[in-house]
Amino acid sequence: MARDKIYQEEEFPSPLLQLWHNFRQSPVVLVGFSCFAFLIILAIFAPLITPYSSIENHLDKLLLPPAWDKDGDISFLLGTDDLGRDLFSRLMHGTSLTFGLSFVVVIVSLVIGVFIGSLSALSSGIRSSFLNHFLDVILSIPSLLLAIVIVAILGPGLDNTLWAIVMVLIPQFVHVTRNAVKEEFTKDYVLASRLDGASSLRILRYSVFPNIIEKIISYATLAQSAAILDIAALGFLGLGAPIPLPEWGAMLSSGIDLFYIAPWTVYLPGLAILFSVIATNLVGEGMRHALKIGKES
Amino acid sequence: MVVLAMSNKPLQMNLLKLKALKTSLVAGFSFFLGACDSLDNISLKQKSIVYCAEGSPESFNPQTVTSGTTIDTTAKHLYDRLISFKADDHTIGPALAKSWHVTRDGKKITFYLRKDVSFHSTDNFTPTRKLNADDVLFSFNRILDKNHAFHEVSGGNYPFFQSVKFDELVENIEKINDYTVRFTLSQSDSSFLSNLATDFAIILSQEYGEQLAQDNRHQQIDILPVGTGPYKLEEYRPGSLIRYKPHDTYWQGESTLSQLLFDITPSNTGRLTKLLTGECDIVAYPIAHEKINEREDLILEAVTAFNVGYMGFNTQKAPFNNKQVRTAIAHAINKQAIIEAVYFGHADVATSLLPKNSWAYNSDIKGHEYSIEFAKSLLTASGYPDGFTMDIWAMPVQRAYNPNALTMAKLIQADLKLIGITVNIVSYEWGTFLRKLSQGEHQSVLLGWSADHPDPDNFFSPLLSCNSALSGNNRVFWCNEAFDQVLNESLSTNNIGLRKKYYAKALDIIAEEVPLIPIAHSKRFQARNANIKGELLHSIGGIDFATVSKK
Amino acid sequence: MIIFTLRRLNLLLFTVLLLTLLSFSLSYLFPGDALINLSGEINATPAQLAILSDEYRHQENIFMQYWAYLSHVFSGDLGISMASHLPIIEEIKILLPATIELSLAALLLAMFVGVPIGFIAAIKHEKLADNIILTVAMFGYSIPVFWLGLLAILVFSIQLGWLPSAGQISLLYEIKHVTGFQIIDILLSDSAYKWQAFQNATAHMILPTVVVALAPATIFVRLARTAMLEVLDKSYIRAAKAKGLSFGQIIYHHAIRNAMVKVIRDVGLQFANLVTIAMVTEVIFSWPGIGRWLIESIYQRDYTAIQSGLLMLSSFIFLVHIITDFIYAALNPLARESNHGA
Repeated sequence: MARDKIYQEEEFPSPLLQLWHNFRQSPVVLVGFSCFAFLIILAIFAPLITPYSSIENHLDKLLLPPAWDKDGDISFLLGTDDLGRDLFSRLMHGTSLTFGLSFVVVIVSLVIGVFIGSLSALSSGIRSSFLNHFLDVILSIPSLLLAIVIVAILGPGLDNTLWAIVMVLIPQFVHVTRNAVKEEFTKDYVLASRLDGASSLRILRYSVFPNIIEKIISYATLAQSAAILDIAALGFLGLGAPIPLPEWGAMLSSGIDLFYIAPWTVYLPGLAILFSVIATNLVGEGMRHALKIGKES
Repeated sequence: MVVLAMSNKPLQMNLLKLKALKTSLVAGFSFFLGACDSLDNISLKQKSIVYCAEGSPESFNPQTVTSGTTIDTTAKHLYDRLISFKADDHTIGPALAKSWHVTRDGKKITFYLRKDVSFHSTDNFTPTRKLNADDVLFSFNRILDKNHAFHEVSGGNYPFFQSVKFDELVENIEKINDYTVRFTLSQSDSSFLSNLATDFAIILSQEYGEQLAQDNRHQQIDILPVGTGPYKLEEYRPGSLIRYKPHDTYWQGESTLSQLLFDITPSNTGRLTKLLTGECDIVAYPIAHEKINEREDLILEAVTAFNVGYMGFNTQKAPFNNKQVRTAIAHAINKQAIIEAVYFGHADVATSLLPKNSWAYNSDIKGHEYSIEFAKSLLTASGYPDGFTMDIWAMPVQRAYNPNALTMAKLIQADLKLIGITVNIVSYEWGTFLRKLSQGEHQSVLLGWSADHPDPDNFFSPLLSCNSALSGNNRVFWCNEAFDQVLNESLSTNNIGLRKKYYAKALDIIAEEVPLIPIAHSKRFQARNANIKGELLHSIGGIDFATVSKK
Repeated sequence: MIIFTLRRLNLLLFTVLLLTLLSFSLSYLFPGDALINLSGEINATPAQLAILSDEYRHQENIFMQYWAYLSHVFSGDLGISMASHLPIIEEIKILLPATIELSLAALLLAMFVGVPIGFIAAIKHEKLADNIILTVAMFGYSIPVFWLGLLAILVFSIQLGWLPSAGQISLLYEIKHVTGFQIIDILLSDSAYKWQAFQNATAHMILPTVVVALAPATIFVRLARTAMLEVLDKSYIRAAKAKGLSFGQIIYHHAIRNAMVKVIRDVGLQFANLVTIAMVTEVIFSWPGIGRWLIESIYQRDYTAIQSGLLMLSSFIFLVHIITDFIYAALNPLARESNHGA
């Protein structure tokens, strides 16, 4: 690579920027990324831009099919449910709940998990072995099952669901961070700064983190697609969001009773979940691909 | 195909292979599906009826419950009563008692029992004798005598009998001889015979009870039931199925079926799916009526039922101990909208507790008019100008009086928001729901009542009397002495005109005090395959397979 | 191998300890009285409660209580269900086999379909076939399973009418529970309709099995693909190529076997994932398994059932985990040296 500057370091892109460069090369991933960004924007602004309130009943417009159906009504683009609530508004609002909250949940558990994980990577001996066994046990229990247990203890409700998923994700982030940090610590550049007299914490902060951040973010996308599915599954099972909230899983489950007379109340929330999970997975896929290219180059 | 085969040999091979694959696939499939049509299977299918029920029974003893699900799934199949309602005109006819005699003062009632009635013979009980007076004494003493060995089994609650004050009414039951029993009442009671004909007043086996008592397995009397009814319990898997086999020595003749199955399917859509795919012959409380009407092989039927769907308040808890708050809510609920969205128009708006077809119905009572402004002003007057937050418990099962409590709760949630009240909707699984209700954990509840007999008293005493408040069946925990007084006066006379006046007064008290808001009177729906013959739905009481057969 | 076995046993012991500890503490974490939560006797009279309190040593310190709980669990007494009042161990004996039956069928299906496809994708690396397979796989593990189940019922049960929509077998057939595994029980039964019952039970299994298997199958595709790519990159493959073996021979004799070993390592972890999917699927298809029962227990606030059900289900999952570890170790001697199998 020809460069004009003498000091390469100044020009050398940060790992994240590098990632973005690799990212841009694949059109599919870029589409996924745009969808993801779109969902985030929608999640933030949905309550402001929905045409109707998500809990407003239109009792004269019960079970209206989507607008493209011959019985449809253009002012209710995706139709209405059995209480005459506008599905388009509900789905938009649902973005902030299912998708938006899963994003928040992942961020929270990422911060806590990385913190615990990197501290534990620095420990050794009995404590480390105990933690290892403990993580093995926790990680062998499926996330949804663990979330169901926690909800059973805390009682159903959206808050409790979110806490449950945070608690399920933390050990996973601990595990990933811990392994990544340990791996980095065996590398030569760490040894170099150690010889310079840097403390472990300093090495962690300035040498190791920049190198594992992509790995953690790539894991975070996996965690987010799991979080979306878990929030929706708990909502579907009636253990998550309380009744008027348009959480996608809960919407789907209340649509089941209308399956025969208003199938769109089942199709649409399902499609919304599918769309957001695919967008998230595409971003993750792109990230892992980029990481691999980064390693190979 | 021929052209191809001549011009291109390898392709032909491929096509042949494909064809072979296809036939083997088809063969494989028909192996699974075709099986249903083999000869043996048809006979098995023809002799079994599968009824898709909306929930599991709480117990196999109707004495201890009031829930319609339990009555539907147990009462008329496992047991008989001394007397019963005739299907056509709801008058009382003989059953286990072939005749009876009431003294002129109405205080002594003598029953003459049939001598040819045998009990079920099951895996853990073989009867050695026919039904006699001891069994009748055993069945009623279990309810009346607090020291009876079986009184406390299954919690010691007999909600229906407690609500009609059975223990105060019956002074004594005596055995005159092996086949004659006499009830002595403390006062004449015009609904006594009707109460004995309900699905709750079943006859248990005293011999079975003794055997269980000997082995100290008392609780099994309600879990592994023995009765005289047309079917006996073969298998029960909670939440999944009840398998009944015919009682081969049934006194009215053995059933033509080889088994009667209750497929417990709480999901509305699940039941409809099973009806459409033929997995169920009959389904309770079907949804999507148009879909059923589209199909020629399915029949949708409805009976006018004596019922009422209501919203009840826990009058012991703030803010609903305040009459004005309750009245405010009564004015804020848009009942017409509920009829459209929840009942799809197949119901009448309830103006009072009594449906139109009851003889005590009073058209002068108009109910609470829907008016947000008035409701708001009442709420302000009662000291809650900014509203408050409350819970509504929505029952998790479908009943005729309320086919979808959750949707109703959502509508009420939206209605009450207009007067500043925030509503949380709460629901539990049915058994848990009922248990928590009777412990009074709720603030308000969407529930209903299906009459067990045509006497109007059945709408009042079990639901709202002080006695039923004690037994937990009065879900509003409301006790009003003037109201109880009126009910008692009505029961002590046989004069219909007089009784009508008393009930009008009772309805006035309810309208004034609003312990509950009557919402709708609905028909009871059921869907079945066209090859099922006979009547199993009746306006009162549980379903009955006595006349049902399969073609 | 002995050291490996000891390590695994150590892990198993540790896990069981942890799980019972968790389950024991649940009785305190759940609302209500710990003793009633443990025993499930909600209708108990004061006298009965006193006996129970004695049995569970509830007057003594917490360690003795835990010890008493352990001895109850290991003697097979998990209390009675608060909802149905039946002994929980009896219910689980019927429910767990149903779940195992469904999960095993799905696991086998997922492996038989997923692994070969994954190998094909690896062999056609970065060609059209590979891309198509990866795209389809991405859809596969992004679909919410409850939605997939509903669509499957709509299409195959209602519109086409090919397959039944709910349950394990038509209720018409009366099959006695012997082992709890429906298929085995049918073969053991002396019903006159044995053969029809068998066909009926198989037809009932198809839809739920396919629905459960879809997501794990796509994961197996990815696992198998990665494993195969790694193997194809190895020097012994290059050596084989240099020896002049044809590509087919290389794949068949060398690559598949070695790639399979790597896939098997992950089966344990995937099985746990699969059981969760099965739990949700059981709800949709009314499959009478432990997952549906557990979720219903939550609705019923049946704390005794939740607590014991979790203990049994997670122990079972962990057991499978360990068994696959053993299989992996038996196939791959190198793994015996490493600290952690998964």
